[in-house]
Amino acid sequence: MPGVDHCLQEAMAIPGAVGASIVDYTTGFPVATTGAAPNSDHEAAAAGTADVVQAANSRALYVSALPHDLLEDLIITTAAGYHLLRMLRTDFDSRLVLYLWLDRVQGNLAVARRRMQKLADELVAS
Amino acid sequence: MTVTATRTGSPGHLLTQVAGERASGVLVVGGHPGGAVFVLEGRVIYAESPAAPGVGELLTASGRLAARTWQNALDLGTSTARVGRLLVEQGHLTQGELELCVLGAIYDAAYFALSPASAPVEFLAGATHWLGPVVHVDPAAVDREVNRRVRLLDEIFPDARVDTSPVAPVPRPPRERVTLTAPQWELLVNADGQRTPADLALLLGRAGYATIQELRRMAAMGLIELPEVRPEGPELVRMPRTRGTAVDVQRPVVRPDGPAVPVITGARAAAAVPAPAIVAPPPSIPPPPEPAPEPAPEPPPDPPRHWPADETSGNQPVYRPPRLARRKPGARLPKELAGESPPVHQGTDEVLLKRIRTALRALR
Repeated sequence: MPGVDHCLQEAMAIPGAVGASIVDYTTGFPVATTGAAPNSDHEAAAAGTADVVQAANSRALYVSALPHDLLEDLIITTAAGYHLLRMLRTDFDSRLVLYLWLDRVQGNLAVARRRMQKLADELVAS
Repeated sequence: MTVTATRTGSPGHLLTQVAGERASGVLVVGGHPGGAVFVLEGRVIYAESPAAPGVGELLTASGRLAARTWQNALDLGTSTARVGRLLVEQGHLTQGELELCVLGAIYDAAYFALSPASAPVEFLAGATHWLGPVVHVDPAAVDREVNRRVRLLDEIFPDARVDTSPVAPVPRPPRERVTLTAPQWELLVNADGQRTPADLALLLGRAGYATIQELRRMAAMGLIELPEVRPEGPELVRMPRTRGTAVDVQRPVVRPDGPAVPVITGARAAAAVPAPAIVAPPPSIPPPPEPAPEPAPEPPPDPPRHWPADETSGNQPVYRPPRLARRKPGARLPKELAGESPPVHQGTDEVLLKRIRTALRALR
């Protein structure tokens, strides 16, 4: 049975993974963390992650363009890394996002994105 | 099972202390809304509060679990404190779902239980929660997060009245164009002027803190009505003028040739002899009701408190205000004038009045 810790371990097994966490994006709180975080501060990183998700979800109107559209993931590329945010959709009320920090050289964005999708689905669906 | 005596203090402080001792039990926080934080060997395993929907409410209100499924798990697992494990073993939930749901519920309830700076708290050692240990959270992280959440709310809109009073949308939005998020819409269409934020959270199966957050945002946008500011001190203090001689409709008028003692023409006298009342000095500058301090002809003895009726029927109805010792500004009224202060209600009368008003409106 994959739990939260198992999910984060699997995320860290993705090639190039540096750190991972699950973030509540209404409050910007890291519900679970593993590995490194930007600036070695998981809580500050989570607060920023929440801002980014809120911006994409409710301030920018990308997901409001069509009815019943949903935000799936956000990919931020920097010169040295990739930052992947995958929305976790639970049936009960929660606003969670799975965050993965990838090394730019060792990581493969397409592979990582597929693995993240699988992980997110496995975590909340039987 | 040992119980510490109830004392008043900071719930967060006691939690840290309990965690330091690696104790197991439940920290019960009184007050409103209050709550309970369950600790196992110094780690938080669950928290609940009347203002935050618990795991059961979250799972059933969203339709993730049928109410019957949840009840079955409760019936089977409550006595052995393994309700959570049963749900996973029976295949109703994945481990991930259960853990995420419990984590959300813990931080949500902890906000309500631990945010008061001071509340009656007690620790019941040995008590455990029927859900069973699903996750183990560091109490320091919980405490930190609670404080952060308090700050976040104040950054949005620093008015805590929004968090507890019934939610009423303003009848007219303050702007031509209003943009709402989906959760805000949900709250507004379900707010009926009677449901409190906690009621709404429970009804919609949404986290209590997230509900308050959205409500504060909408309060900042001017979309929900703010509860009236209740004046400090007892309401409905009887004003001093309601007893004794009540001649308030007409301000005292001094006739230039009149006696040094201020004279008032009563309503009847003014109608009968209108001339002096009109030529009298403009009533916008009423003379002080107290006798002038100048050496006057021997002032009459203290008039009785209750004016005799025969005087008003005469030609020259004379009003002499009852003599009161001068009070300093802000001083309390003498007991016999202030009357007994009504008991302070905790807003119940207000809620009752609102309900009556809504009911009457429905009858129209």
